[in-house]
Amino acid sequence: MRFIKNTLDKVKIIAGNNKYLKTFKPVLNAMDEFFFGTDKVTTLPHIVDNMDIKRLMSLVIIALLPVTIASIYFWGLRVLLVIMVSYAFGGLIEVCFAVFRKKEIHEGFLVTGLIFPLILPPGVPLWVVAVGVMFGVMFGKEVFGGTGRNIFNPAIVGRVFLTIAFPKIMTMNWQMPFNKGLGGFIHFQNTVDAVTTATPLVLFKNQGIVTSYSNLMFGQSAGCIGETFRVGIIAGGLFLIVMRIVDWRLPLAYLATVFVFPYLSNHLIHTQFALGGFQLFSGGLLLGAFFMATDPVTSPFTKPGRWISGALLGILTLLIRNLSGYMEGVMFSILLINAFTPLIDTAVLKARYKKGRPR
Amino acid sequence: MLKPARTFRGGYRFKNFNGQARPVIVENHMPVLVTIPLKQGFGAELKSLVKKGDAVFAGQIIARDDNVVSSPIHSSVNGVVEEVRRMNYFKRQTAMVIIRTNNASREILRIEGCSLDWARLSNEKIEELIYLSGVSSLDREGIPTRFKSSIIPPEEVKHLIVHGVGSEPYNISLDLLLKDKNLLNFLEGVKILKRIMPNSKVHLSLNAKKRSIIEQVAKLTSQLEWLDTYPLEPKYPQGYDEILVPTILNQNFPYGYSAANIGVVILNIQAVLGVYEAVCNGKPFIERVIAICGPSIKDNIHVKVRVGTPLKDILAERIKIEMPVRVVMNSLLTGFQLNDISLPVDRTFSHIVAIPEKKEREFLSFMRPGKTRDSYTRAFLAGILPWIKRAPDTNKHGEERPCISCGFCERACPVKIIPHLLAKHVQRNLIDETIMNYGIFNCIECGLCSYVCPSKISLMKIIKEGQDKLTMQGCDSTQCILPYFNLKGIEEYRGVTKL
Ligand code: SF4
Ligand code: SF4
Repeated sequence: MRFIKNTLDKVKIIAGNNKYLKTFKPVLNAMDEFFFGTDKVTTLPHIVDNMDIKRLMSLVIIALLPVTIASIYFWGLRVLLVIMVSYAFGGLIEVCFAVFRKKEIHEGFLVTGLIFPLILPPGVPLWVVAVGVMFGVMFGKEVFGGTGRNIFNPAIVGRVFLTIAFPKIMTMNWQMPFNKGLGGFIHFQNTVDAVTTATPLVLFKNQGIVTSYSNLMFGQSAGCIGETFRVGIIAGGLFLIVMRIVDWRLPLAYLATVFVFPYLSNHLIHTQFALGGFQLFSGGLLLGAFFMATDPVTSPFTKPGRWISGALLGILTLLIRNLSGYMEGVMFSILLINAFTPLIDTAVLKARYKKGRPR
Repeated sequence: MLKPARTFRGGYRFKNFNGQARPVIVENHMPVLVTIPLKQGFGAELKSLVKKGDAVFAGQIIARDDNVVSSPIHSSVNGVVEEVRRMNYFKRQTAMVIIRTNNASREILRIEGCSLDWARLSNEKIEELIYLSGVSSLDREGIPTRFKSSIIPPEEVKHLIVHGVGSEPYNISLDLLLKDKNLLNFLEGVKILKRIMPNSKVHLSLNAKKRSIIEQVAKLTSQLEWLDTYPLEPKYPQGYDEILVPTILNQNFPYGYSAANIGVVILNIQAVLGVYEAVCNGKPFIERVIAICGPSIKDNIHVKVRVGTPLKDILAERIKIEMPVRVVMNSLLTGFQLNDISLPVDRTFSHIVAIPEKKEREFLSFMRPGKTRDSYTRAFLAGILPWIKRAPDTNKHGEERPCISCGFCERACPVKIIPHLLAKHVQRNLIDETIMNYGIFNCIECGLCSYVCPSKISLMKIIKEGQDKLTMQGCDSTQCILPYFNLKGIEEYRGVTKL
């Protein structure tokens, strides 16, 4: 601790005296704050909550840890490399903007940097990761003015950009996961049986094959890096809800819609939707519902708004999954609903604060 | 009658803070010099009736004016007036009478006409006793008597709420206040108040966690059909008038005005005990029980002090000096910071809280398990180990960041407004009718939104700023209130608060 402090102080002095290094002050300050906390004191109220954004973000990361570790087991140590690339290049953009704006660096990026790799296919080339994360952070967040002002979830912006720009890479790189022994912990990548296979959603759509629930739950199916170990996702999501960091309304509305809607529409309009249970546990739905749709910045803040947007997300996801050429509806629908978030909130507020009513 | 437990939406329960005052009371030694503010509690500032050199005795009235809304003020010691001058007292220039004690006897001269058999006294006499004792100036609207001690006359009171909820992080001990005989005295006090406010219904609201007290009260009052007892969850800010009225009476509160404007009087337990003492024992209200709380105090107890005692007389030997300390009056969320310990205590003090002023930084603070850290979220060890005491300090525990719309402030706000939305409007300088519509004037400045915000945004301050700016533009809080309420005594209320 002393050592870190001394080093930081020294570097700070050097940087303070150097015209060029001065621009990197935000980086040093961020590190300083990261390690040593704050020395500011309150005014009124005299005490404030111990929670801060750093801990909040760390908790999201903790909630993602089971999934991340499991994904290393399923897809090999290369996953670590993908995560590192994501952090490095996303961080680069973040730092550039902080330096450019002379503002401090915000912690929100720590979550984006981890979620982004989790929604990519396991075989994704590293340069694609770098391009995607840079695009996502830049156009998903920074152009709006940084954390707290963004309309779209940066990870999803990056992912959707990749899907549209490199459709081949993003839809062809499916592998079967390791399932024996130490699996991916001792392999770099699944080369032995690197047969490209299809995700459960594709299997169902093209051949009507329904993957078994146990395979879906415990990661024995093809899919994006972090979306297949669904037990871990559910555990992480519930953890955040219990910690009161994530509001339960939106995920509940989203998942309930996805579960109920197929029954209704199969009855009413006789299209062939896969049944609710299968819908719930396939694709990136759970990861999206718990970790991305609930991103507080980009989801409605009003309670009715959360119900509405959850329900809309559900319907949209199913429609895209079943009626469009894309297999994966979650990312597109979240992106779309993100765009409607301000509208939903405004409508809810309008209804709630009708003029001339005593409160 | 005992009613089912009640609560309200929003709010936050501060649990198990370290340094709660034990239910023990000691008398503080008699002060050598007292400084008595001529405005204490509800009422206008008075003119001194004594001048330099006058000899006064404990309990002697040194200021009184029956023509303005006010209650008399007494000398709290036997002594000689040393000086009458204006001083800065809680951000307001206030006239003070400074008295040097020359006889440290604890005797207090009784007010004439008091009687243990109060039922035989006339209403006028009872009101006079209450007024002369000064207890009628306590709490936010005072106790109405025919002597203009509040803004409405006693017959206009429709509801009297007596509360001992204790929803702050630190509370005065209910067990102590209502110990043994005090409980009976308290109920007598309630009956006296009912007598002078004959048209009122009385609502006793007590901390739902104090089962035994509630049971005793319920048993003792089961015959009184004009009295209801409500156990209330001790969730902050339940003790505020603005929250008590909707919780108990299911009625909207005229935010920005006083409960008395809608015919409701809200008193706390010490005031009712004071009424009993005044009417039955003729005691002027010159002593106050103060809970000395917080981890920076050596021994957390209650002390009984004379009004006008300088803070240093109370704190000097009780405070831990190893670390910097912040001393706060009454509430950690909204109370004044007591920087100058030569200032005196007045009738309105009920708590003095001392917590460490924590400026030093902490290595990897945000990663600590947090066994003693209180949080609205459950993300600290304290959240799962409720029996471990939480240690508050004044550190901000994090850097200020942009709002992430996490909604904590909205969930915590007791008056159902959306603090972050209002703050965003104010910060972007979008100050117009919209934010008035969003209820910016409903804010009761409880400070919870600022407390819970993980981005460390001073929401309460920003909202206050917005209110001021809006008022400057000519939008007034009256526009949201007056059309919907039939308020009484507005002029008088203005007269007292806008001084
Ligand atoms: S200070 Fe005002 S806005 Fe904030 S929680 Fe209290 S009442 Fe609500
Ligand atoms: S608590 Fe703070 S960060 Fe959360 S919504 Fe309110 S202002 Fe924004």
